[in-house]
Amino acid sequence: MKEVILKIDGREVRAEEGMTIFQAAKKVGIEIPHLCYREGLAPTAACRLCVVEVDGSRTLVASCAYPVANKMVVRTDTQRVQEARKLAIDFLLSDHPYDCMTCEKSGSCRLEKYAYEFGIRKSRFEGERHDYPIRGRNPFFERDYNKCILCGRCVTVCHEVQYCEAVDYSERGFATKIAAFFDRSMQETPCVFCGNCVSVCPVGALSEKAGRFKGREWELQKVPTICSYCGVGCTLVLNVKDGKVLKVTSDKELGINRGWTCVKGRFGFDYIHSPDRLTEPLIKRDGTFRQASWEEALDAVAEGLKNIKSKYGADAIGFLVSAKCTNEENYLLQKVARAAIGTNNVDHCARL
Amino acid sequence: MKLRSDRDLVALRESILRERDPNKTCVTICGGTGCRAWGGEEVRLAFIEEIRKQGLEGKVGVMRTGCHGFCERGPVVVILPEEIFYQQVAVGDVPEIVSKTLRERRVVERLLYTDPATGRVITYDHDVPFYKGQTRLVFSDNGRIDPTEIRDYIARGGYSGLSKALFSMTPEQVIDEVEKSGLRGRGGAGFPTGRKWRFTRSSPGEVKYIVCNADEGDPGAFMDRSVLEGNPHLVLEGMLIAAYAIGAHSGYVYVRAEYPLAVQHLKIALEQAEEMGLIGDQILGSDFSFHLKIKEGAGAFVCGEETALLASIEGKRGMPRARPPFPAVSGLWGKPTNINNVETYANIRSIILNGSSAYAAIGTQGSKGTKIFSLTGKINNTGLVEVPMGTTLREVIFNIGGGIPRGRHFKAAQMGGPSGGCLPAQYLDLPIDYESLTQVGSMMGSGGMIVMDEKTCMVDIARFFLSFTQEESCGKCVPCRIGTKRMLEILTRITKGEGREEDIDLLLEMGRIIKDSALCGLGQTCPNPVLSTINYFRNEYEAHIRDRYCPAGACEALVFAPCENTCPVRCDAAGYTALISERRYEEALSLIRLTMPLAAVCGRVCTHPCENMCKRGEIDQPIAIASLKRFASDWELSSGSMAPPVFLEKPKAERVAIVGAGPAGLNAAYHLGRRGYQVSIFEALPLPGGMLSVGIPEYRLPRRNLMNDIRFICQHHVEIKTGKALGKDFNIDDLFHQGYKAIFLAMGAHKNQRMSIPGEDGPGVLPGVDFLRRVNLGEKVEVGRRVAVIGGGNVAFDAARTALRLGAKEVSIVYRRTRDEMPANDEEIEEAEHEKIKLLYLIAPVEIVRENGRVRGLLCQRMELGDFDASGRRRPIPIKGSEFLMEVETVIPAIGYVPDLSCLPLDGGFKTTKAGTLQVDPITLATDLPGVFAGGDLVTGPSTVVEAMASGYRAAISIDKYLKGQDPRRDRAYQALRRVDVPKAEGEEEAATSKPRAKMPAMDVNRRVCTFEEVNLGFDEETAVREAKRCLRCDLER
Repeated sequence: MKEVILKIDGREVRAEEGMTIFQAAKKVGIEIPHLCYREGLAPTAACRLCVVEVDGSRTLVASCAYPVANKMVVRTDTQRVQEARKLAIDFLLSDHPYDCMTCEKSGSCRLEKYAYEFGIRKSRFEGERHDYPIRGRNPFFERDYNKCILCGRCVTVCHEVQYCEAVDYSERGFATKIAAFFDRSMQETPCVFCGNCVSVCPVGALSEKAGRFKGREWELQKVPTICSYCGVGCTLVLNVKDGKVLKVTSDKELGINRGWTCVKGRFGFDYIHSPDRLTEPLIKRDGTFRQASWEEALDAVAEGLKNIKSKYGADAIGFLVSAKCTNEENYLLQKVARAAIGTNNVDHCARL
Repeated sequence: MKLRSDRDLVALRESILRERDPNKTCVTICGGTGCRAWGGEEVRLAFIEEIRKQGLEGKVGVMRTGCHGFCERGPVVVILPEEIFYQQVAVGDVPEIVSKTLRERRVVERLLYTDPATGRVITYDHDVPFYKGQTRLVFSDNGRIDPTEIRDYIARGGYSGLSKALFSMTPEQVIDEVEKSGLRGRGGAGFPTGRKWRFTRSSPGEVKYIVCNADEGDPGAFMDRSVLEGNPHLVLEGMLIAAYAIGAHSGYVYVRAEYPLAVQHLKIALEQAEEMGLIGDQILGSDFSFHLKIKEGAGAFVCGEETALLASIEGKRGMPRARPPFPAVSGLWGKPTNINNVETYANIRSIILNGSSAYAAIGTQGSKGTKIFSLTGKINNTGLVEVPMGTTLREVIFNIGGGIPRGRHFKAAQMGGPSGGCLPAQYLDLPIDYESLTQVGSMMGSGGMIVMDEKTCMVDIARFFLSFTQEESCGKCVPCRIGTKRMLEILTRITKGEGREEDIDLLLEMGRIIKDSALCGLGQTCPNPVLSTINYFRNEYEAHIRDRYCPAGACEALVFAPCENTCPVRCDAAGYTALISERRYEEALSLIRLTMPLAAVCGRVCTHPCENMCKRGEIDQPIAIASLKRFASDWELSSGSMAPPVFLEKPKAERVAIVGAGPAGLNAAYHLGRRGYQVSIFEALPLPGGMLSVGIPEYRLPRRNLMNDIRFICQHHVEIKTGKALGKDFNIDDLFHQGYKAIFLAMGAHKNQRMSIPGEDGPGVLPGVDFLRRVNLGEKVEVGRRVAVIGGGNVAFDAARTALRLGAKEVSIVYRRTRDEMPANDEEIEEAEHEKIKLLYLIAPVEIVRENGRVRGLLCQRMELGDFDASGRRRPIPIKGSEFLMEVETVIPAIGYVPDLSCLPLDGGFKTTKAGTLQVDPITLATDLPGVFAGGDLVTGPSTVVEAMASGYRAAISIDKYLKGQDPRRDRAYQALRRVDVPKAEGEEEAATSKPRAKMPAMDVNRRVCTFEEVNLGFDEETAVREAKRCLRCDLER
């Protein structure tokens, strides 16, 4: 990559050709406000919060999408830039509900953050506000498009990360909104409920149903862990309060999955606190389970296997392993099958 | 038939030309969308049928051509080879054309075009002023070929540009040539076409695309459609040349599906070109191959933006994306793509064929070639106009466009569609090119030119354009999606009379930032109509916000009735007319006097702009609003009792001095008096009334009636001190010392303007205003047997008719323009004609010839009308050698009058204007001296009675606020009118529609010329009631 040298806020910055102004600024520690841009997603340049002045350009440019060039002179913090940013936030607030008190996003909402930083108590503008019904027939997440700022992140994720194309922009002008085709419910679309759209939503428009009204953002303990569903090993972040997992989120800085998950990892955690969950070994005698110690239980299993092997031969026994287990665990189990029992009856089932 | 080489193409052209007789008569019928809507297709079929019937089959051709551009006069029929131009041809006219013109070579006069400016009947299309002022390069073959017939195109040299490029130029040479021509993108932004091509050519990549942007979407723009409909091969040829230059092998035309005829003609053209081997593999036997697809757009305005258009071709939602990368680097499917507009491609052939220097010879320094404008709105000749870059707006609008219909005035032109800005009259002489338009806050855009007259409200028009762009916003970026919505909401509330003082500044701030921060061209330009209308017509915004008043009378929520809205003092004509229709005369007069205390005066001498706006006038003639006012006033006078005064506020101790007892001063006194102030009017003349007393002769306004109105005003704490002249008997400081808290100056304009011709000074020359004053004050003034009055205003007519009554035998009015341009009231002109006064038009005085000091005559010169001047009227130009002597004994110059400012201490804080009037704040009428206000003719120069009264009212409001310590700029709205409780007369509507306007009974002509008694006798009761019932009651519709 060729190196280019540009000036940002009077500082000389070395950047690689192909980088955006936003990235180059970040490299030297200049954080440019932004709502729609998210690292790892193609920029839509829609929110106009990241606009900056570039010498020679007639208008302000969106730094998230504008490529750097040699000898470029950029200003990220002039009055002209600040006025434009402030007005953009003002516009967004003029069509946004003032219900941060009960919004699940409060505390991590980016619109809230900038409204605070720009000191906008109330939008200067009156006029029409949207009044969409809240959509949420699916069990996992809710869509409240009254809060949507049309950053387009969910659309980009759905099209370019998950390849589902379940949602897109619809309508025009002020009526523009995000919708599934013909405004259907998510169940009627190719949506796989990965929830990655929820994870990128910068405001409270898309929110998990789990944990609702149970804990504010700042009360939640964030516990990174590895997903127990399969062998991929995605990093999840458990949101815990009072020893209870309220919801599962993800973090683009953590793990091999870079913040993306599948439906199971993000939404399939209700088993954790399920009363049906096995917490200790049980042995069934005469049709009923009774509690047992691990020693007793393992003995019972070993006994049983031995009996079968002596009575019917080793091939009467089969082992099923699981994709949820690690490679090492799977290796050990097939070792048990072959070396200890003496059978090649080893198979795999991902649902286990 | 496939053409396999350039020689094949030449051979084909030659064989077509051989087959065709250039002298064969051919009837061409415009097949553009406009003429088809007029019924052109039926006319064409009628021609085929009639030609067969009259046995001319085979001898006469019939051709359906593309758009001729003169859509206003469709269906247009041009008969070749003579180019006889018939307009508004109906099916019924066809037999006559066939028998007369085609058989007997005679023209059908009634179907020819008459130039409304000169009255000249024009036979040939190249002589029609609409075409004469144009330079039709792109349109050269529109109207001469059948767009569905490739052989027509080839016969006129079609595809020879392509063959020249392919066989004698390298791609680089083609680009050089286009670059040197100076051609810039006709889609609006004006990017140099050659440079764009070079970028695309030099972008790395094997696969490149050519795209034609035919998504013409601006309201009122239809030039691209016309080119595609009328000459599609011209566009294809341009694209082929571009593809060769750039190295592209496939391309798209993105055309709106709402242009069915353009799509159809494009498809036919593409098919024919493919069949002939002009599009496809190895074109004309060369190794250049090119394939083209037509993609129909679904009608989203934003798809005219290039990145949105490309997304749409790719099958995605048409939404713009951030640039760079530009399409030249990464366009369609990520490949280098050259995208140009229809008109740009249509210019290419002539550049290649005739060379860049020929092309660059047309236009201005920075903008070369011609530009097509679609001329729409309040314009006589709606249509498509192709002119060289640098042509002035005046040339396009007045000389080619024929000016504004119904004698109204040009107010502004919206250039560049909803993204452009408006240009007011001050820019009529601006040469139009890319730079000049941008400099004045507008833009070239696609070339839409929407003309607006004084009935167009600039706030409403800005609201209209913004509502369009708001609806068409793709919704992606915040400034465009929400910002324009909020701007629109603010504009909407202004047009509803709910605007707030801070709204204008807020709109300016929003507009500026949205332009600076929106994502694409749509968002970056859509505030332009708002910004430019605020820039040039801020007073209209202020009128809506402060006065809850729409000066154009267009904003429904603010207009009570057109008559009321038009009246400068907002006299509720609809209301008093309704009351008169119910014989409630006393109430009618009270309603009149709410805003208009000089009822008898304005019932007689008002120019009644209300009647010009009267809706009844659109059916037959307007209601005689002024005469009804006179009737109500006369009724009171004849009843012998006067209505008691009505006060709005309790009496106050504050005293206000008014200088001048003319209509401005009297009305200010009235409205101040009604608010409880003690008012003294100081009048220099021995009697009150100003021009009403000494300017207007008694036969138009009897003194008795005038004095009755003044008596009514004086009931409201108003005293009039006559014979007191400012600067002689007292000065401004004296008034303040005497305890007056505020002063209103309304001395009028009584000084004659000099003609500055030899012989002007001396006996026998009686300046108009002086003459009238002397007569009105009872002085005995002698006039000669023959009198010449110079001028065309009301003073000229008053002077002429007065001279007649003083015994002159032959009175002439000499005017340098024509009757159409005369500023005098129509009634005055008609009365003068009745009284046998000679009206001499297009004549200007050169010298007053004297013999022994006495006037012997007036040396005159004849004039003719030339181009339009700044006032929108044609300029009179002297005809050399046309001088002649008019023998007269008396000359009365009445060309204008100005205020006499000598009585004011001009070094003491007053400022004057270039026109010699006093300068004041346009809203509050405050002078630079605290507590001193001024209005009427003193400020405006000679104007009408009702305008002077309006100015008096405004001064009264300002003085009231000033004395109460309130902001004189805020809340100046007229008191809201209440609808009168008169229902619309049921069942009478139909009867009323057949009733013509009542005629004003007048004194016999022979008697009136020897007396100063009133000429007009007034309506009797039954006539008045009947006339009042003709009112359509627009006030009830709102």
